[in-house]
Amino acid sequence: MLSLSGANADQRYKIKPSQQSSVVASLYNKVAAMAGGTSVSAAATPYDKQLDTIAKELMNAKGKSVVVSGSNDPNEQVVVNAINHLLGNYGATLNLDRACNLKNSNDAGVAELLNDMNSGQLGAVIFWNSNPAYSLPDAKSFVTALSKVPVKISFADREDETAQHCDYICPDHHYLESWGDAEPYKGSFSLMQPTIRPLFKTRQAAESIMKWAGATQADYYTYIRDFWAAKIYPMQSGISSFEAFWTQSLRDGVFESGFVMGGVSSFTGDVAAAANQLSKPASGIELVTYEKTGLGNGTHGNNPWLHELPDPITKICWDNYFAVLPAFATKMGWRQGTVIEVKSGNTTVKGPVLLQPAMADETIAVAIGYGRTKTGKAGDNVGVNAYPFVSMSGGALKYFATGVNVNKTVDDDYQLATTQSHHTMMGRDIVKETSLAAWLKDPSAGNHVHLIESPYGPKTPEQLDLWATPEQPGHERPNHAWGMGIDLNSCIGCGACVIACNAENNVPVVGKDEVGRSREMHWIRIDRYYTSDTNKQNAEEKGLGKLDMYGEMEIPAADNPQVMFQPVMCQHCNHAPCETVCPVAATTHSSDGFNMMAYNRCVGTRYCANNCPYKVRRYNWFKYSDNEQFPFNMNDNLGKMVLNPDVTVRSRGVMEKCSMCVQRIQYGRLEAKKENRKIKDGEIKTACAQSCPTNAIVFGDFNDANSQLSQLFKDERSYHLLAEVKTKPSVFYQTKVWNRPAVEGDKHHS
Amino acid sequence: MSAKHKKFVYGIFKDDEVVMNAIPVLKSQGLRVKDVISPFPIHGLDHALGLERTRISITCFLYGMTGCSLALLMMYYMNIFDWPMDIGGKPSYAFYKNLPAFIPVTFESTVLCAAHGMVITFLLRSKLLPGVEPHVIHPRMSDDHFVMAIQITEDSEAANVETKLRAAGAVETIK
Amino acid sequence: MHKESELRPPLILGDKTWHDISNDVCRPVESKANKWWWLAFSLSLAAFLWWVIAVSYTVGTGLGVWGLNKTVGWAWDITNFVWWVGIGHAGTLISAILLLFRQKWRLSINRSAEAMTIFAVICAASFIVSHMGRPWVAYWPLPLPNQFGSLWVNFNSPLVWDVFAISTYFSVSLAFWYTGLIPDFAVVRDRANTKWRKRIYTILSFGWVGSAKNWQRFEEVSLVLAGLSTPLVLSVHSVVSMDFATSVVPGWHTTIFPPYFVAGAIFSGFAMVQTLLIIVRKVLTLEDYITIYHIDMMNRVILITGSIVGVAYITEFFIAWYSGVEYEQYAFINRATGPYWWAYWSMMTCNVITPQLFWSKKLRESVFATFIISIFVNIGMWFERFVIIVTSLHRDYLPSSWTMYSPTWVEAGIFIGSLGLFFTCFLLFARFFPVIAMSELKTIIKSSSEGAKKKQSKTPKSEQHA
Repeated sequence: MLSLSGANADQRYKIKPSQQSSVVASLYNKVAAMAGGTSVSAAATPYDKQLDTIAKELMNAKGKSVVVSGSNDPNEQVVVNAINHLLGNYGATLNLDRACNLKNSNDAGVAELLNDMNSGQLGAVIFWNSNPAYSLPDAKSFVTALSKVPVKISFADREDETAQHCDYICPDHHYLESWGDAEPYKGSFSLMQPTIRPLFKTRQAAESIMKWAGATQADYYTYIRDFWAAKIYPMQSGISSFEAFWTQSLRDGVFESGFVMGGVSSFTGDVAAAANQLSKPASGIELVTYEKTGLGNGTHGNNPWLHELPDPITKICWDNYFAVLPAFATKMGWRQGTVIEVKSGNTTVKGPVLLQPAMADETIAVAIGYGRTKTGKAGDNVGVNAYPFVSMSGGALKYFATGVNVNKTVDDDYQLATTQSHHTMMGRDIVKETSLAAWLKDPSAGNHVHLIESPYGPKTPEQLDLWATPEQPGHERPNHAWGMGIDLNSCIGCGACVIACNAENNVPVVGKDEVGRSREMHWIRIDRYYTSDTNKQNAEEKGLGKLDMYGEMEIPAADNPQVMFQPVMCQHCNHAPCETVCPVAATTHSSDGFNMMAYNRCVGTRYCANNCPYKVRRYNWFKYSDNEQFPFNMNDNLGKMVLNPDVTVRSRGVMEKCSMCVQRIQYGRLEAKKENRKIKDGEIKTACAQSCPTNAIVFGDFNDANSQLSQLFKDERSYHLLAEVKTKPSVFYQTKVWNRPAVEGDKHHS
Repeated sequence: MSAKHKKFVYGIFKDDEVVMNAIPVLKSQGLRVKDVISPFPIHGLDHALGLERTRISITCFLYGMTGCSLALLMMYYMNIFDWPMDIGGKPSYAFYKNLPAFIPVTFESTVLCAAHGMVITFLLRSKLLPGVEPHVIHPRMSDDHFVMAIQITEDSEAANVETKLRAAGAVETIK
Repeated sequence: MHKESELRPPLILGDKTWHDISNDVCRPVESKANKWWWLAFSLSLAAFLWWVIAVSYTVGTGLGVWGLNKTVGWAWDITNFVWWVGIGHAGTLISAILLLFRQKWRLSINRSAEAMTIFAVICAASFIVSHMGRPWVAYWPLPLPNQFGSLWVNFNSPLVWDVFAISTYFSVSLAFWYTGLIPDFAVVRDRANTKWRKRIYTILSFGWVGSAKNWQRFEEVSLVLAGLSTPLVLSVHSVVSMDFATSVVPGWHTTIFPPYFVAGAIFSGFAMVQTLLIIVRKVLTLEDYITIYHIDMMNRVILITGSIVGVAYITEFFIAWYSGVEYEQYAFINRATGPYWWAYWSMMTCNVITPQLFWSKKLRESVFATFIISIFVNIGMWFERFVIIVTSLHRDYLPSSWTMYSPTWVEAGIFIGSLGLFFTCFLLFARFFPVIAMSELKTIIKSSSEGAKKKQSKTPKSEQHA
């Protein structure tokens, strides 16, 4: 499966799921050969030569690398640890001082629970933050076993798949209504405090347990305080009163105890034994399950934002699917939308086919977390439940299956809702890229500047202006000139910015049907491009005429295309094509440098959207709020509590688009005004910039020469998208630099 | 001129060439040929009757100039002076720089004011308004007959006029 | 007295007198409608009802009931708008430009053609209002003082130019048409023998009496209006074309659009005039006035303008290649070979190939061939606007926003309904208004009618000079 990591990788190799263990073992052997370890048994892989190169590079970067595997097989992880050990990574790039307590699970324990329930040993079962009747591979057996338990209690906040089989549902508070604490990393203690009174008649689960256990404290708050007073407060000596410590911790949110395990761990695993236990490569069709970046494991199945977030790789919304390599689909006689029946072991699931470049051949990938039936009106019956494909193997869950059978059904026309139906750049200079080698030689590599012949000689688009003269250089930016910079080298395409923007700006959710009609409302989108086998440079060599060239350029590379991500939001053009054509002046430019949109002036002619070369404008085709047809989040009083009160909710017939979080700019300005000072760089952050995990998006002031934005803009990697259209955007991008010998962009010239 | 009602004798003709030939003849005979009512415009009739050239096209020109100035003034006031906005970078700080964008509206406004001004002037000057009752002298005067109006001062002249009209080719006369 | 060569074909057939003209043209107004009229009227009214339903549904529920999306913001709505405005241009050309060129053959067709213009522009305006997201504030593009500041309109926007151009065009055409109608209403009024007909046509005729001064002013006004309407024809569709030409969309952003659109407008307008008048002359038995010669002349205009349009298509292609701009080149390659290739080739066949058939005199003078070809021309011109709008929008600069468009039943209903609106208006016009400019036509009986030509050929040459 083309994962986000794979898409962002400098080098990606396609392997079938069953080959992974062998690849890891082979890599171990190669590294061991160079680092002085003993070799273990490993099946042959098709990447022998490449693994040689990789091993060499890893050895050259001893102590400066990390090898990770996403496998749930402890044996494979033992081999991986051995590789890291041989590479000297422990104590250098890998630090075991702080154990991570997140994502701890106990697969074997759950299997044991099943046995206990079946044997009638259990008197009661309490479900807390878990939904095994949905997410366990063998959910049916679990439900049958559950019926044998006399008392079944669930703390779920809704009648979910498991709670429906319980005798009692005691809804827990929402986490925002709860007191609590956590230790995410060993030695880091954080506190949870409520931000709102309980909206419904719920009781915090911990408090219920306290009551049933006959605890003496009146409530959970007191219980936590007592615990912290007894166990955590003594870990520090800086603050002498518990009250002060408690208040400080609450305000900081976290208390770092400075706990350190000490010492560099040495590797004590038995690599050879582990390697012998590894699964062998299989033949035939294989299936792999994975979690989507947005929806995850399905816990938030009722969150319409997550469903409407286009999958970073496939750009599909509101569905999961069986993703296959296009060539494989053709071989099997499938096309996108064909419904197939996949059978693995005792599980048979029907679902649509999605053509996905860069997948391994004979492999089907399907996302878990879908197919829920009792999550709420937004999420019920979206997609198919792929959890049954997960199996137990050697005491751990195994997320792939071999020897899978597939049947084609008569249904050939399942409609998948996608936000992007063209996947290549068609030879256009949209995402500029270069290789590290070229960049080191010349920092402006890949960033070819279009020069335009003018009466004043060849000029860049930024230098040309119909109206500006030295005496009158155009509309002034006397105060600020806000803008954004997006480093394409940092952007991983995850989509956090999209969700953040939705949350901040009351962007409506429109549902699968409307997305299928290309009407999604996201103000920021992440374009995902694949390279294709044909490009302008090699079209001539291939003897292709223009027509054929364009036809072939539409198809992503057959084997292993490169993937590029580009977040696109309103570019806030200083010579905005949209502003000129609005008849009622609903969209104009501020003296702060961004494009404004007056919702209450818009009459809805849509000329602005037509004229936008970046296609960033979004139209309210229907009334998406308070409308029964769109029962997602703006439809009832509870859903409306999500809305940001600083941002208008737009009515039907009105155009909207990224506003550079103008409400935040306003807030920052007013705060600075109240304090009688200038705005500090970094004080105002747009929602997308704030939420980006890699800090790829930077918001700032071009008028401030010292701002981070201005510094970034000076970099030779900076460019404007579609600069030749001379829109003079306030948003710039930075060239992506691949650590590869050479890339297509190096040769790019026009 | 006195305010009393003018007196006319009408000659009804069936052919426009006969009418055109009759006018100079009747005029030379001393008759005051005031008007000819025809179902269609007769080429040369206004000259023969001694009608002054209509100045309506001059008014049209004036209205057109008004329309042109109004439009330019309006756009200057609205987009440059009162509430100039940065729209796509367009130079709303200088009228002459933004002028190319204003040309289409200026042109249309010129034509609008010229045309409607002229038509309204025409209707008012010719007293053509809904509800105006026409003075229909002969039922076929809009169909295929021509009415020549000879002005007389005394009713006694009527018979003389009628004779001369018939001599000139009139098929009927009306007092 | 204007003398015309006997070699010129007669513009009025049969031995018509002025009285005959009055009779022939007033007869449809004065008699009861026949069953064909009622059939056509019922169909048109039904179609118009469909329009009412479709537009109400759109205004009540939202533009989402159409097939538009974030990439293709205009499709059938603006295609239909431009199609209707284009059709309207023929009427003004016939009344105004042919007047300036002293083409007397315009006289039997200009009234119907102008009526067609009025109704076509009404249909076009309906698309403007119904395509807005908030049509209840459709008056906001007008520069009226208001309580928002006053917040004025954006005169840089081609849509505001459109507001002025279309309203000017509509009102001036209406004024021109109505001015011409006044003397003809007087004819109906004077012949009226029922109380209601007399009352109504008296009001409609504004009390017209054909005095010399009135005619003098009338002629001057007609001439000046013709002179004003001529640049109006050229400018209005140029302004409409600038909705596209001033944008940055590849395939739209081209300076050839103003003359290309104007030629295309005249092309489609004349085709629609042919379609209408072939039916009118038959049903109202006006073949003596709308003769084969008239049909021939209009077909020649169709041939010329069709050829101009064909040359414009080739020029566009050439410039796309010559410019080297890859977006422009791709726009044209996509038009001819992309997913909407069928629309493109329909356009080419109907617009470039079919009018060339009119090189044949036989086809030019064939009523049946003219009728068929005129319908094809209008279909082709509809596809031209569709191709320009949709194929340019659906694949523009960034391939990530490329998408497809298809219409819904609502859009189809509004289009067919607009045809219903148009034909309802036109049928009412044919019933209650004189469809030929009687009074003006009477001026050419003596020079251009068949009877006059026969007399002319009998008179010895020596006596013909007068």
